[in-house]
Amino acid sequence: MNDHAPSAVRREFRTLLRLEAVCEFSAVRAATLAVRDWLAGKGLPEADLGAWELALVEAANNAVKYAGAEARQRPVTIEISCGERDVEARIIDHTAGFDWPTEVDLPDVDSESGRGLFLIKSLVDQVTYLRHAGENVLVLRRARPVSGGEILPDVCQLQNHLAEVETALTDMTAELASSYESLVALFRYSSELGAHTDLKDFSHRLLKDLMQIAEADCAVLRLISHDGKKLETLLVLPGEANKSLPSVALVGAVASVEIGAARDREDIWFGPEEPLGPDDPLCAVMPVGNGICHAFYVANQLVGTATLGRLMADKSFTAAQVNLLHTFIDFLAIQIVNARLLDERTVARVTQRELQIAADIQRSLLPSKIPSCMPFELAAACQSALQVGGDFFDIIPASDGVLLLVIADVMGKGVPAALFAAVLRSTIRSMPQLFDQPGELLATANRTLFPDLSRVDMFVTAQIAFLNPHQQKIITASAGHCPLLVWRRDAPAAVALGQSGFPLGIEPLTRYAQTETPLPPGAAALLYTDGLSESRNAAGEMLGEKGLLRILAWAAAQTSDPQTGKHYLLARLADYCGHEPLTDDQTLILIRHVV
Amino acid sequence: MNIQNKDSQTSVVTDLLELVAANAAQVRDEIRAALPATCVCLDLDLSELTFLDSSGLGTLISLHKTMRSRNGTVRLLKPAPNVQQILELTRLHRVFEIVNG
Repeated sequence: MNDHAPSAVRREFRTLLRLEAVCEFSAVRAATLAVRDWLAGKGLPEADLGAWELALVEAANNAVKYAGAEARQRPVTIEISCGERDVEARIIDHTAGFDWPTEVDLPDVDSESGRGLFLIKSLVDQVTYLRHAGENVLVLRRARPVSGGEILPDVCQLQNHLAEVETALTDMTAELASSYESLVALFRYSSELGAHTDLKDFSHRLLKDLMQIAEADCAVLRLISHDGKKLETLLVLPGEANKSLPSVALVGAVASVEIGAARDREDIWFGPEEPLGPDDPLCAVMPVGNGICHAFYVANQLVGTATLGRLMADKSFTAAQVNLLHTFIDFLAIQIVNARLLDERTVARVTQRELQIAADIQRSLLPSKIPSCMPFELAAACQSALQVGGDFFDIIPASDGVLLLVIADVMGKGVPAALFAAVLRSTIRSMPQLFDQPGELLATANRTLFPDLSRVDMFVTAQIAFLNPHQQKIITASAGHCPLLVWRRDAPAAVALGQSGFPLGIEPLTRYAQTETPLPPGAAALLYTDGLSESRNAAGEMLGEKGLLRILAWAAAQTSDPQTGKHYLLARLADYCGHEPLTDDQTLILIRHVV
Repeated sequence: MNIQNKDSQTSVVTDLLELVAANAAQVRDEIRAALPATCVCLDLDLSELTFLDSSGLGTLISLHKTMRSRNGTVRLLKPAPNVQQILELTRLHRVFEIVNG
């Protein structure tokens, strides 16, 4: 299929001679004389002729000497290849063969045999002995003298030689010229890379240049789809409006040279002898002529295929042009992969930035210091499982020393959740007249936030607690949030209290019940988010409300200081979770009626 | 090949054209057969010898051993440069007396 192997930089002109001799000493001797004459005609000097004659005689004699009865029926073959720089001989015999010794030394001076191999090795530059079953090949190579002072080749031979050299030179020049063009082009592309981020535009210009340099009439560039299942068309050149190519599935029934090239990882040539299949999508843009399809890979991953075509059927691409195709497209492949990686990194950076913004918003919403409200003292904590959680709490001092406590969990993450937390915060803060009526406050906040929340399918659970230092009680209302947990000195167990309505954003006209809970001296109350009660241990078991109540009772019994109590609580929670990572935000406000 | 007995002690072999695997054993045997028992000096005139291979070298060694056994010598007369080269290459020029000119 492909007879366009890249041409050698310098093609050597070699002539060949092949002789078969009957397996007898006299016959092989005659053959070596024939070789000598032939080599003399090639202009080898006398010293070389002598060396070759003796080396061949020794080799051929061995082939005869060690031939068994069967091998004696078969000829000894001598092949000579004479080049400009060396001569190579192959002596093929059918003996059992022998192990070519690693060191070939002269035998004792009195020995009447054993000098053959030594002579061969001394007379040629390179000896290779290939031993096969039933056939052995001895390959001998000897360089020709560099300056052939004695050589007087005939004019015809000289002309042939000259023609060969000229062809080689022309090839070299063409190759150099195209290499230079491609190098210049690639450098130009490299310098433009920073300025051009549009991959399609970049590919378009590169492909157009390639077409021009490689003398192609049309080109198709396809890239593998993101799911890796099909080849999608990026470019069809020349880009006429009516030329559009549908994607082709990598695995499918369509016979396509592009799929074939991608599958077999080799260039596929098509032309008059091997036309495109009737169903090949390329038929639409390359109906006649010939072309080559090259699939390109980066890090062993298919990136796409590039096809160059010519309208003229009888003019196929040369080896140099195919080299150009490879160079350009492999360069493009790297740019494509780089661009894709850049895209992924950009997305990751944007996401990272968004999370950072959200985290900043959320942090700014939390009270910078916890006000006191004697005889009540407070402690609060908010730890996020992810960079930004939906949890939020607020402690708002109002006139007459009262406090409004807010704890909420926005269902959602990122900037939108943080923004809703911010809106909820300011909505509540804007209604100080309703602080002592938490139920009414939640209902109003729900009405205000409902349109925005429902539009984005988000909702918020919240609990609001009104703390009046003069009344030793806490008034709470809950919008789908965790209940208030209370512990008293006179009762060993903590309890969960309060009713709950819909979360904010579910139902515009929800009413929220209020619960008044006395907080006698020594009592502790806990507002929290479900991240606490839904903590899981290594076995995957959830702590639950009851578990949290036990921890609260234990912590409250240990200390009457809310700050210390908070640490006890969090430490116990951490113990429970063990090494399990935090899966949800944990936010709490601990209220203590200090004695 | 021609074998002449110059005198009772000296024999001269001339007209050796090639000494190769094809004729090495035969040459050896013919010379041995023609040598008088009194011969202690065997001169091999190599001036006509155009080619010598390792089998031919074997013949020279064999004759050398024959002559040595009777306290005689083998001399190689006027070898051509290519023959002399082979003798030197195989270091047999140290074994034989080579007479040039």
